[in-house]
Amino acid sequence: MGSNGTNGDAAVGSDMPRQKGKATPDTLKVGCIAMVIKDGQPRRAEILSIRETKSGRQFYCNFDNFNKRLDEWVPVGRIDFEQDVDWPNPDKDKQKDGKMKKASTAQKKIPGKKTQKRVGKREQSVASEGQTPHPWTDFVESQQVKASPQKAEEDDKVVASLEVGATPGVGSDEMELNEDETPAEVAKRERAASFSREEEIEKLRTSGSMTQNPAEISRIRNISRVEFGRYVLFPWYFSPYPEIFSQEDCIFICEFCLSYYGDLKSFTRHRLKCTLQHPPGNEIYRDDFVSFYEIDGRRQRTWCRNLCLLSKMFLDHKTLFYDVDPFLFYVMTTRDERGCHLIGYFSKEKESADGFNVACILTLPQYQRKGYGRLLIQFSYELSKIEGKLGSPEKPLSDLGLLSYRQYWSENIIDLLLGFSEREERCTIEGIASHLAMTTQDVEHTLQALKMQVYHKGEHKIVIPEKLIQQREKSKAKQKRLIDPERIQWKPPVFTASNRTWGW
Amino acid sequence: MATRKVRYKKLSVKTPLQVLREDQIDPTEYESLTNESQIATGVEQAEENEYHLQAVLQGAGVAADKEIPVPPPEQSNLNYDELYSQRFSKTSTYIRFSQTVEECVGCMYDMTEDDSVFLKSYNQKRGANPHLSEDDFERIMEVFEDTAYIKTPFASVDQTIVPYDEMIQGLQDLDTSKVMPHAKEIYEYWKSMRQALSNQPLHPALKFETHQETDEMDPYVCFRRREMRQTRKTRARDVQSADKLKRLRKELEEGRQLVLASHARELLKAEMLKTDRAIFEQRAQLKEHKIRLGIKTDDEDLINQKPQKRKAPEVPAIQRPPPSQIRLPVRPDGRPAEADLAQLADRLAEKENELRADIEKKVQNHSEWNKNHVDLTRGPLSPVRGPKLDLSFRPAKTQYLMTPPASVSSGAEEPTPMDLDKPENPPSVFHFWGVSQDEESLERPPKYRRRIGRLNRLWIDRRGMASPPRDHGDDNMSDKWKYDQSSDDEDTTMFEVDPYDIRALRFRSSIPLPAWMTNRLVAVPVGVGNRPAILPPGALPPGALPPGALPPGAQHPNQGVRPPSRQQTGG
Ligand SMILES: [Zn+2]
Repeated sequence: MGSNGTNGDAAVGSDMPRQKGKATPDTLKVGCIAMVIKDGQPRRAEILSIRETKSGRQFYCNFDNFNKRLDEWVPVGRIDFEQDVDWPNPDKDKQKDGKMKKASTAQKKIPGKKTQKRVGKREQSVASEGQTPHPWTDFVESQQVKASPQKAEEDDKVVASLEVGATPGVGSDEMELNEDETPAEVAKRERAASFSREEEIEKLRTSGSMTQNPAEISRIRNISRVEFGRYVLFPWYFSPYPEIFSQEDCIFICEFCLSYYGDLKSFTRHRLKCTLQHPPGNEIYRDDFVSFYEIDGRRQRTWCRNLCLLSKMFLDHKTLFYDVDPFLFYVMTTRDERGCHLIGYFSKEKESADGFNVACILTLPQYQRKGYGRLLIQFSYELSKIEGKLGSPEKPLSDLGLLSYRQYWSENIIDLLLGFSEREERCTIEGIASHLAMTTQDVEHTLQALKMQVYHKGEHKIVIPEKLIQQREKSKAKQKRLIDPERIQWKPPVFTASNRTWGW
Repeated sequence: MATRKVRYKKLSVKTPLQVLREDQIDPTEYESLTNESQIATGVEQAEENEYHLQAVLQGAGVAADKEIPVPPPEQSNLNYDELYSQRFSKTSTYIRFSQTVEECVGCMYDMTEDDSVFLKSYNQKRGANPHLSEDDFERIMEVFEDTAYIKTPFASVDQTIVPYDEMIQGLQDLDTSKVMPHAKEIYEYWKSMRQALSNQPLHPALKFETHQETDEMDPYVCFRRREMRQTRKTRARDVQSADKLKRLRKELEEGRQLVLASHARELLKAEMLKTDRAIFEQRAQLKEHKIRLGIKTDDEDLINQKPQKRKAPEVPAIQRPPPSQIRLPVRPDGRPAEADLAQLADRLAEKENELRADIEKKVQNHSEWNKNHVDLTRGPLSPVRGPKLDLSFRPAKTQYLMTPPASVSSGAEEPTPMDLDKPENPPSVFHFWGVSQDEESLERPPKYRRRIGRLNRLWIDRRGMASPPRDHGDDNMSDKWKYDQSSDDEDTTMFEVDPYDIRALRFRSSIPLPAWMTNRLVAVPVGVGNRPAILPPGALPPGALPPGALPPGAQHPNQGVRPPSRQQTGG
């Protein structure tokens, strides 16, 4: 896994051999792969978009083998022009010509859509975002992961030779052409050709609710800052809020009805009128700490759509391609004297052909790393137990999702196995599965991931590693909260054939 | 390694496994099974190798403090307590709630910074005149936006702006005294704002599908309607259900009419009671006067003369309308209380007629569109009876052949032999009809249709072939045997009844020949030997007589007629 090879990683570049050569800040264009400093280290990055700000040109970079949530606008100074740059594949350029014509005709319409005021605002917005330092860069740096083999290799190969100060002259002819385009539009135009439409559309149609939208525009974060309740959130991914919002410095989302505003006055006016203080559905669980609400996507279409838009900012593999009608939303909240505040939720198909008990699952960033994800997962399995079904989350999982699920699975399986081991009983994978309402595949997956499944003297056995036992003891001591199944007031909702026929 | 792997028994999920702690087993004696070494993580393949994820996964079970870095949230600088000032009172029981966002918010228009600037200067200009509040401003704007949304759904495309006059109706629902003095000026402002935005809604809106090709790849287009499940054919059960629903609707309507009628009747009764009482009192007075004044005429005035006569005209008036016209009830006029009801009914009738006219028009349009086309689907409209019908089902022309009377009972009910004309131009398309048309009048000539079904099977469908009423069992049977017979057997004879039986002879001689026979075929012997028919044993009911002989040269009814079998297997 060298730093030069992309290893078939679709996130940066493609497998096709590319032309290499030196670039300058003026010639570097969308689609190029360059070495960019990230967290103090040089890293391969694909340029997805370019924009001009008051402080100079900026490049939207997606870093090799880093999750998209770490993509950022980078000033020229962080790009290493001493190193060769991979140029976009010329084949793609040829294809692009046709598309460009289309795009340029479409482009003419777009400025017309906006008022002059809006355009002014956009310029301001672009400029001001350029000034806004990315609040998490420091954080990421502080999070530097201890050297893994991969990192060590990189350190050897790549010697950071960065020459800061090669600031380019602003405003070349090329850039003027693009003046009226938003960064996203540039990206769209540049990259539109590289996808096979039919295939991608088909994928969107047939895949579940956790599919990525292939359009290139969606690779670029469109909202930079969100005011939500007591917090400011910095979105991770694209979300299809009204297009005009991408020009706002900040959008405002009502904490209770999740309505969205680009204008503070509007938001303030809304808050005077909005009477909602908890998710608009029935409370099905309550303890001293959290409440769960069940919301029907069809009955509460506006609220559920708003929820999906919000969560899309933090879920990469979520598609809002289809409407919310066929889903139920289980929303976890924390109570105080102002109302029930949204912590996270999971959605669930009213009828899942594949037996999934979770479609999308999210803990909002301000509540992450506090054990809430575990509660959400536990709750989803408690519902499956009531239904008498084995459940599994819809794939693909996000990186964070995988970790949360692995943790939940391993903790529960280890607890169960320790009991068996103490009683010197044997157990079957099926037994574990039905006890935890997990699928047998997920049980096997966990056992193997933790290297617990062994073959000993011609027999399959389960061995619980000492480390895991100790770790479990520790986490048990820390663990404060669990869902108390006794407090769930819920019956599996029943849907009829006509619900199905008439779109739930 | 690879060779050892082969020896592993496959692990079934039902196999009871021994569970051991690590310290209970010698680590050199076993190896852990990492199936194909790679375990499907369930993460998108392109992301599986992401640096931070791998770092955490590799550390799994070693150190739990590794985390994936994310952009951290911050505390908001807005005044939370001001923005979210409402207190939340905790309920003792679990909350049950079904109001929607729209219901919880009320006025959906939220004024913007720009609106606020405008409103301030607007109010300033008005000076001493009553000012417009922010709430009322929003209400007016909401009406404008809603009306525009309803009346000009394609506003941003066709650039039509709803004129002020059409907005007024929506404004009527507001507090008009507060709103109307400002409405016109706010309208001008609204119009200018709309125009500035290319006539798009003032509130930024999500992009929904437009059913154009551009939808597909536009990541801003969201929340599409999921394609409906494949529309299935209307099943017999659906038709039944629809019929049941129609009947239920009709019966409920009848019930409603009954209630209305009885209400009217009770009102009438009350009125009558009042009148009776008035009459009684008047008579009492009259009587008193008579006594007082010593008038001695007969007391005819004091009794009811002919109460039946008064009732008689009323009966036809109240007469219940036939069920088919239940929606156009005929009502007696006169009473004010009823007048209201009658008007309501009229309104309903009017609506009904409008609807009917509309449907009629749609039906016409439909058949217009389908001209020269064949509708192979089950359209939402029931099949239109028109010239098309005749294209598929061609009538079989009947032609009476010279057949002697069959039996005494038959008379006019003579079974009619049929001759199917050779089709001049066999229809090139085949028609399927979802709804059976069997209720077609029996008077119509029978019709046939040829079609090719599954596996290239040729089907001959018939219509209008309903057999004669059962009580003429005799004819029924004779109709059947006629087609069951093949022409090769024509000369075979079979005697069910002894023709020389004296009773039969006598009976036959008593049958008068029909007029046409006596006129034209006088010489025809009424013989037994050349009787064409075979009767399947038991086909002829006891006592029935065999049909008369066929005149020589006369075409046998069977010839030229395809047996109307329901099914024929073709190539
Ligand atoms: Zn709200």
